[in-house]
Amino acid sequence: MNLKGEKTGIILAGLVIGVIASLLVLFGNPANMGFCIACFLRDTAGALGLHRAAAVQYIRPEIIGIVLGSFILALGKGEFKAKGGSAPMTRFVLGFCAMVGCLMFLGCPFRMIVRLGGGDLNAILGLIGFAAGILTGVFFLNKGYSLKRSYQLPVLEGAILPAVQVVLLVLLIAAPAFIFFTEPDGGPGGKHAALIISLIAGLVVGALAQRTRLCMVGGIRDVVLFKEFRLLTGFAAILVGCLVCNLILTAVTPGTYFKAAFAGQAVAHTDGLWNALGMYLVGFACVLLGGCPLRQLVLSGEGNADSAVAVLGLITGAAFCHNFGLASSADGPTANGKVAVLLGIAVVAVIACANTFFQEGKKN
Amino acid sequence: MAVYIATFYAHFGAVRFKRLCDGWHWPARMMPVPRRLSSSCGTCVRWEGEWPTPGPVPEGEMEQVVLVDGDTYQPVWVAEEC
Repeated sequence: MNLKGEKTGIILAGLVIGVIASLLVLFGNPANMGFCIACFLRDTAGALGLHRAAAVQYIRPEIIGIVLGSFILALGKGEFKAKGGSAPMTRFVLGFCAMVGCLMFLGCPFRMIVRLGGGDLNAILGLIGFAAGILTGVFFLNKGYSLKRSYQLPVLEGAILPAVQVVLLVLLIAAPAFIFFTEPDGGPGGKHAALIISLIAGLVVGALAQRTRLCMVGGIRDVVLFKEFRLLTGFAAILVGCLVCNLILTAVTPGTYFKAAFAGQAVAHTDGLWNALGMYLVGFACVLLGGCPLRQLVLSGEGNADSAVAVLGLITGAAFCHNFGLASSADGPTANGKVAVLLGIAVVAVIACANTFFQEGKKN
Repeated sequence: MAVYIATFYAHFGAVRFKRLCDGWHWPARMMPVPRRLSSSCGTCVRWEGEWPTPGPVPEGEMEQVVLVDGDTYQPVWVAEEC
């Protein structure tokens, strides 16, 4: 595939993903939450009992599908490579901090786009903060930030996270008593599309994202670093696909899938400053990680153990956010959450400085 | 002169190699790694010049070097343990 073909592929993939995100709401997912990597990891953490917020507990098949879709395609194309060893603990902490930012905003970068596609204007503030966070991260990249190289690992090391997804799928189907499920009217965790629909949607998105390397962070980063718009067009295509499908669904169904407003949006709050600061933290942390939460899942499927560790950081962060009252709600951010976001920004800044200006054996 | 692309383990490896190319007065630019070269989304350097280079390159930072031949890439150097 030449560069033009690559760009066309990314646009088509983005459109398909945007439409899937919109349709998942029609099929039962919470409004403006056809896809949200942060929310879905948080729901899965709740289902496993890592937190006890009864409203957000469900093993989301979309996450399982994304990892396995990437895994299957990477395996089929000979691109599955088990590798890791690039600052795993740092990546865990960055993943943790990114989740703190996501749950301040109430969504990952993917959901930020989905929220924009549903007319949630609060996401504009999130986007501004997100772009600012990416610019901060790019500053450090250009100054020499590096988490050092990764190394080839035994195949098993790269296959563990995909294998865990199979275990989660079995648990979801078997639904044993020790797995927590939100009651149907008990909150966002109780709203979901049928298992098979969610799983297929995840598989398709995982496969498309693996082929095209779609990344919400990479899109803005590449424009800043290289004036290269390819990944950003995928980002824009998701928005267009989701927006157009939402408008059509609003016109042809009794439901409302698009409502341009700040107030009254589903699973969102209207505190612009903290929406922006939350996504600033996400953008900053994810540039240092090398990709957004969706990208971390896709790379995990390709055998990247470093990304798998980042995913574990995201899951742990989600559990902490709900165990310690850090996550926002429709009522707005919490005091604990505000402190956590500020601490998160400080921690990510320390990581950035330590791996830019104080690296062992660094030669400029 | 031939056109080459080098990929790196980290973005800063590309920054440093680009500076070396500038020092050798070779036209060079940093860009995202082409999808056909890798499923990772790192930074590469595309330059018009020679391989091997006239001087040492950043140790342990370079992943592979390919010769660009139209729409195809011919590997000319690959780091061990890739």
